[in-house]
Amino acid sequence: MELDWSTFALEILNFLILVWILKRFLYRPVLGVIEQRQAHIREALADAKSVEEKALALQSQYENRLAEWEREREAARAGLAKEIAAERERLLNALAASLEQEREKRRVVAERSQQEWLRSAEERAIAQARRFLAKLLARLASPELEGRLVDLALDELRQLAGEQSRALAEAAAAPGVRIAVASAYPLDGGRRERLVRALAGLAGRELPAELGERKDLVSGLLVTVGPWMLHANLRDELEFFAGASNRAP
Amino acid sequence: MGEAAVVFRIGPLQVTSVVVTTWGIMLLLGVFSWAATRRLGLDPGPLQTVLEGVVAAIDGAIREVLPQRSRLVLPFIGTLWIYILVANLAGLVPGLASPTGHLSVTAGLALLVFFSVHWFGIRSEGLKGYLVHYLKPSPILLPFHIISELSRTVALAVRLFGNIMSLELAALLVLLVAGLLAPVPLLMLHIVEALVQAYIFGMLALIYVAGAMQSQIESREKGNAI
Repeated sequence: MELDWSTFALEILNFLILVWILKRFLYRPVLGVIEQRQAHIREALADAKSVEEKALALQSQYENRLAEWEREREAARAGLAKEIAAERERLLNALAASLEQEREKRRVVAERSQQEWLRSAEERAIAQARRFLAKLLARLASPELEGRLVDLALDELRQLAGEQSRALAEAAAAPGVRIAVASAYPLDGGRRERLVRALAGLAGRELPAELGERKDLVSGLLVTVGPWMLHANLRDELEFFAGASNRAP
Repeated sequence: MGEAAVVFRIGPLQVTSVVVTTWGIMLLLGVFSWAATRRLGLDPGPLQTVLEGVVAAIDGAIREVLPQRSRLVLPFIGTLWIYILVANLAGLVPGLASPTGHLSVTAGLALLVFFSVHWFGIRSEGLKGYLVHYLKPSPILLPFHIISELSRTVALAVRLFGNIMSLELAALLVLLVAGLLAPVPLLMLHIVEALVQAYIFGMLALIYVAGAMQSQIESREKGNAI
């Protein structure tokens, strides 16, 4: 157990050399490659983190875009619903207007139809009344009635207004014109005379008279002076009645 | 375990078999390190994985004790561990004796640890700052600090020397008494002992170095806190 100073000194020197050798050929290369790998790992981690951050940013961006699209879709849907509601309102209004128009048309048609029916009924009633009146007057027709009608015609001739009187005078002024008197019954002499004289008075001159009988007149007479005519018979009065009734509003 | 045989002389220096064995270990470790680290890559093979595992384990152990300056002391502490382990195991090779079974070797290593403690301490905080810590917490404790430094250095040298020398001596005695195969369990114990003693020596050296450096760091931190 003696201390050999040569060995002691050489061992110290050997150990220091060994420290250098191992530092040069073992620790430095191995630690270097470990650090290189760690740097590589750090770089890969940094890259992965960068990629993750990018992915998160993209995710956030896409989420924002999706949210924006959702908002736009909701807005578009709301706009569409509004447009649909407005269109529906417009169509309903148009339909209501159309229905109102149709209803009005139907009302007018119904009213017109009713008026037509009323007019038709009125015409039928007038025709029936005329037939009834014609039958009644036919049964009432008699020489006495005719005499009264002739008297009535004579009164009218006397009261003839200026216009009618001038028309008769103009008709009578034509050359070769004559007075044609048609009656349902034969006129008695007095009435015939008064009639001819009244007409001559209105015409302003003597005209030849032509007397005749027409049973279709029912009762009364029909006086013709050229284009001028005097209807003083039941047939023409009935016709006038029927025509006046038809013309009435 | 007698005195080491002198192989040759270089002037006044006697080159003994222990020194030659150490050179052999140095050559082996140097060539192996050079060959193994020639083609290191980011995709490691089995050998590189083992090497990285060993260096990373050494670095991790040092970092646990000295987190701030682990890379500074790694070559010294790591070489202590590796060299002492290989030197302890060299006794298992027939015809060779463990260099650590000689007091000259362990004393040299202990002396290196003694000086390295001061070297790293002074490097860490400067000469004045380092020497001041011997006066703390009281200058009265200075002799005890000095005694402690010397005694632990001697203890380092004697502990390793005594354990390895006694282990080899025991194996030799068992071999002489019991025959050829009887010392095999003792040789297995030799492996365990080699690992344990290398770890203890290196860890104690690390703790001494770390103590010298940490005391300065703690003093600085306290000063900053005040």
